[in-house]
Amino acid sequence: MKAKGKIGLLLLIVALLLSACGGESGEKAEGSKGKEEKVKLTIWHNFAGDDLRAKTVRSFIDQYKQDHPNVELDAQAIPPDGYRQRLSTVAAANEMPDLFFVYAGSHSSELYNAKLLQPVTEALDAHPEWRDKFLPGAFDAYKFEADQVYSVPLGMSATSILYYNTSLFEKYNVKVPTTWDEMMTAIKVFNENKITPIALGNKAPWVAQSTIIGSLADRVTGTDWFKNAVAQKDAKFTDPQFVEALGYFKELVDNKAFQEGANSIDNTQAEQYFIQGNAAMMISGAWTLTNLAASATEEQMKAIDVTVLPAIPGGKGDPNTITGGAGGGLALSSRTEGKAKEAALELIYAVSGPEAQKAIAESNSMVMYDTEIDQAKVTSLYYKAFNLVKKTGITPVYDAYLSADAADVINNGLQEIMMGGTPESVAQKVQDAQARSVTP
Amino acid sequence: MKIEPALKTGVTNDQSLQKGNGGNGGMRRDLSGRQLAVKGLSGLGKLLLLVYSVITLYPLYWLFISAFKTNQDFFNRPYGLPLVWMKENIVRAWELGHMGRAMVNSTIVTLAAVVLTILLSVLAAYVLARFPFRFKKAVVGIFLAGMLIPIHSTLVPLFIIMNKIHLLDTYGALILPYTAFELPIAIFLAMAYMASIPREIEEAAMIDGNGWWGIFGKIVLPLCTPIIATISILAFLRFWNDFSFALVFINTQALKTLPLSLSLFSDGFGTDYSLTMGAMAIAVLPTIVVYLILQEQIMKGMVAGSIKG
Amino acid sequence: MPTALRSKGFIAVALLPALLLFLMFVIVPVFWSAYYGFFSWKGFGAASFIGLDNYREMFQDGIFWRALRNNLILVASSIIGQIPIALLLALLLLKNTLFSRFVRSAVFMPMVLSTVVVGLIWGYIYQTQFGLANTVLRMIGLESWTRAWLSDPQVNMLAISIPINWSNVGPYLVIFIAALQNISPEVDDAAKIDGAVGWRKLLYVTLPMIWGTVVVTLVLCISGSLKAFDHVIVMTGGGPARSTELLATYMYNSTFDVYRYGYGSAVSTMIILISALLIGINYILTRQKSG
Repeated sequence: MKAKGKIGLLLLIVALLLSACGGESGEKAEGSKGKEEKVKLTIWHNFAGDDLRAKTVRSFIDQYKQDHPNVELDAQAIPPDGYRQRLSTVAAANEMPDLFFVYAGSHSSELYNAKLLQPVTEALDAHPEWRDKFLPGAFDAYKFEADQVYSVPLGMSATSILYYNTSLFEKYNVKVPTTWDEMMTAIKVFNENKITPIALGNKAPWVAQSTIIGSLADRVTGTDWFKNAVAQKDAKFTDPQFVEALGYFKELVDNKAFQEGANSIDNTQAEQYFIQGNAAMMISGAWTLTNLAASATEEQMKAIDVTVLPAIPGGKGDPNTITGGAGGGLALSSRTEGKAKEAALELIYAVSGPEAQKAIAESNSMVMYDTEIDQAKVTSLYYKAFNLVKKTGITPVYDAYLSADAADVINNGLQEIMMGGTPESVAQKVQDAQARSVTP
Repeated sequence: MKIEPALKTGVTNDQSLQKGNGGNGGMRRDLSGRQLAVKGLSGLGKLLLLVYSVITLYPLYWLFISAFKTNQDFFNRPYGLPLVWMKENIVRAWELGHMGRAMVNSTIVTLAAVVLTILLSVLAAYVLARFPFRFKKAVVGIFLAGMLIPIHSTLVPLFIIMNKIHLLDTYGALILPYTAFELPIAIFLAMAYMASIPREIEEAAMIDGNGWWGIFGKIVLPLCTPIIATISILAFLRFWNDFSFALVFINTQALKTLPLSLSLFSDGFGTDYSLTMGAMAIAVLPTIVVYLILQEQIMKGMVAGSIKG
Repeated sequence: MPTALRSKGFIAVALLPALLLFLMFVIVPVFWSAYYGFFSWKGFGAASFIGLDNYREMFQDGIFWRALRNNLILVASSIIGQIPIALLLALLLLKNTLFSRFVRSAVFMPMVLSTVVVGLIWGYIYQTQFGLANTVLRMIGLESWTRAWLSDPQVNMLAISIPINWSNVGPYLVIFIAALQNISPEVDDAAKIDGAVGWRKLLYVTLPMIWGTVVVTLVLCISGSLKAFDHVIVMTGGGPARSTELLATYMYNSTFDVYRYGYGSAVSTMIILISALLIGINYILTRQKSG
């Protein structure tokens, strides 16, 4: 009686499909469920890994769970590789979780434009002593409206720190560059000695943009010009000063500052190339501190020191600066209301409050918050960088301000320059893309 | 089809094929010399195959040695054996990635989807290969179109559909789409295979008084063992390794499958290679075992066939 | 004997579950996604209907054409590379000796590996400073041939197609072996008596017997190559400067990186149309051959 068995199975499948189809009406059921006793709250974040920072953030979420037995917290740690894809998909279906991690820049602003976010200003105003200890500009990226803040940064992205290997500089008797000429001299000397001057892992094309061009261009054009060009008011990316800035990047490429094949290795591989002494310098962000803390020895790190990029002759910008800004933070879904919203705001405070900021800073990761850290808890290199960043100004990272489209264009444009493209054509493409997004 | 007479030699299939590489010029040379040359060629061929195999197996070996290295060792000596054998990598990857639970989930989802794929596809293929009916061409065409679809474009619509029918965050959210997307390939492989099974066997069974279900169960299914094994291998690998659906359609930690565990140790700014490799080494083991088992099934088809002959 | 009515019932019951499942989870989403292709939509928020503008833009976008060219390179390399190699290996490894078992398993192994591993190890092979490819070239005195294999737009698409082909031979080998198993020994014997050996047997006996399978593998090759995604994402991410962009990576980037969901949907609809076209051509060509 095989036949009957098979038919039975087929019917079962069909029935399953049909019954599944029949469930449409229950869509909004969640709203009416009795939730007097327990508040349901969902949070999505990408602190899924094994690094210290991820573990620290997770521990604060767990702490909140323990302290709030009345809240039924569903915390999802999503692999960073797929985080944006997942969030975009649920956003398309309008099924956002209550709280979710957002990146500064186009990610959060696009979500804001789609009316998926609501302000979290209340949480800040409830704890003024906390609010006032954030560094200047900490909320700039999240102030989509005057007086309203849409997320609280969990970290700081300092993206253009110049790391250098002191033993290589001593060995070849090179001065740590503070001017562009000194930089060129250093590149020449290291090349003559078969040492890669600057390690770069630009396979993910945002790297050169985030770590190099932002700082380089700011030194040439000054910050005001950039903000105007982003708004497409009185400034364009085809202006001579921006072409000149791209020209400096091309000068680095033409003088073989980067190792060959830099466009096909990833950031981690470049860091390793650098820490093993194959390259004298590396221009990278604070994330390199976190990565090296996990993968390099304290001995290797002792040879490394940090500074800012050299000044550019005749530039309009302040040379004692690093590109950076608020890192990602938690944002609140526009659909979350009532008790769930109260609980969500408390969770934001728990995860990004003073204690959390200190703990994150002590996990070898920069924060946008004025806090003291225990030197014994962090690596020596991180401590150096921490103090460097305290003394320098912060200028905007390009992709935090450009539209997603224009950021994509400049990322690829820099790779193009590394492959022989001209600054003029790249500048034109960036201008076109930004103009398209500002006035569609 | 006309087959021109050629010299009949005792050489086996594979040897004669290699000999063909040299063209027909030497065909009339004396037999013993030829056979010697053939043996030499066959030896050389085997050597080449062996070298190719070793090269091909190297990445697997590399994965396993890398899984036991520290991050530093991984970068300093990418090809060497581990300086210290870090069993902790495996243990930590297992624990941090919740890989025990994930392994169970992956097994349930993959097995269910493979069984469903086989059942539905072989049945459908049998109908499409053997029965004339209206709209047959249209049905074949629709399934054919299914092979062309890049899955990423279907994520959002699928998510919306599954949300509507309350399938999200269940095993079904993976089993049903996995099966649906694998059906076209499975059906076409099975159809092509059935086209080469002589109809006489089925006709004989029909005369013996079997209905369609009987013929299908008693004759067609057993004859299809090799292609079923083939379909299973392909489907198994696809389901076991899928990242996108698993990422988007599953919420609960308790239902998460293996590929999600593999990408935990990379954050876009850097990758912890020792843990990533450790997790991958764990995830790859079942696939190797399954492949080896199913390969034997493909070969069993040959044995069954020769007994009949 | 089953009656016509009973066979109708059988057809319905045997075919419908597969068809329903397939329509619901594959075909409906595809049409749905094609529909989004007529909108300017970020993937969230408001959408506005723009007719064929996405397609118009696509045809004017140099990156789309480059991606298409790269995909066609992959299609060609996979048809030239994977199928003949797999068929040859299948014929050589048909016997169930320990040796052929070992080789068969070895050939299949890249397929079980995660593409991340394949991408990493080939990344090491192609690495400019101390990678295997350049080291070997230097050793045999071909210093001038060394390159940044994955960065240099002159060669990187070729460099990428090698690992893709290498890791995909396995499934075709398995498919061919299953098909060859199915040739009954009588056919073999008959061929021997007729004196068909070597190429002749392959051309006049073996190939016609498994022709249906060959056609399916060709279709798989074409559709697989046009959907290719993982290897490129891992090895180059479509770069540098989009020189290794494929249609699928282009679609993915449009959808999830620059928030142009509508445009991405239009691209993916295009991928389906192009595959259908190529498979149609393939169908006409292979039918002539077998007829």
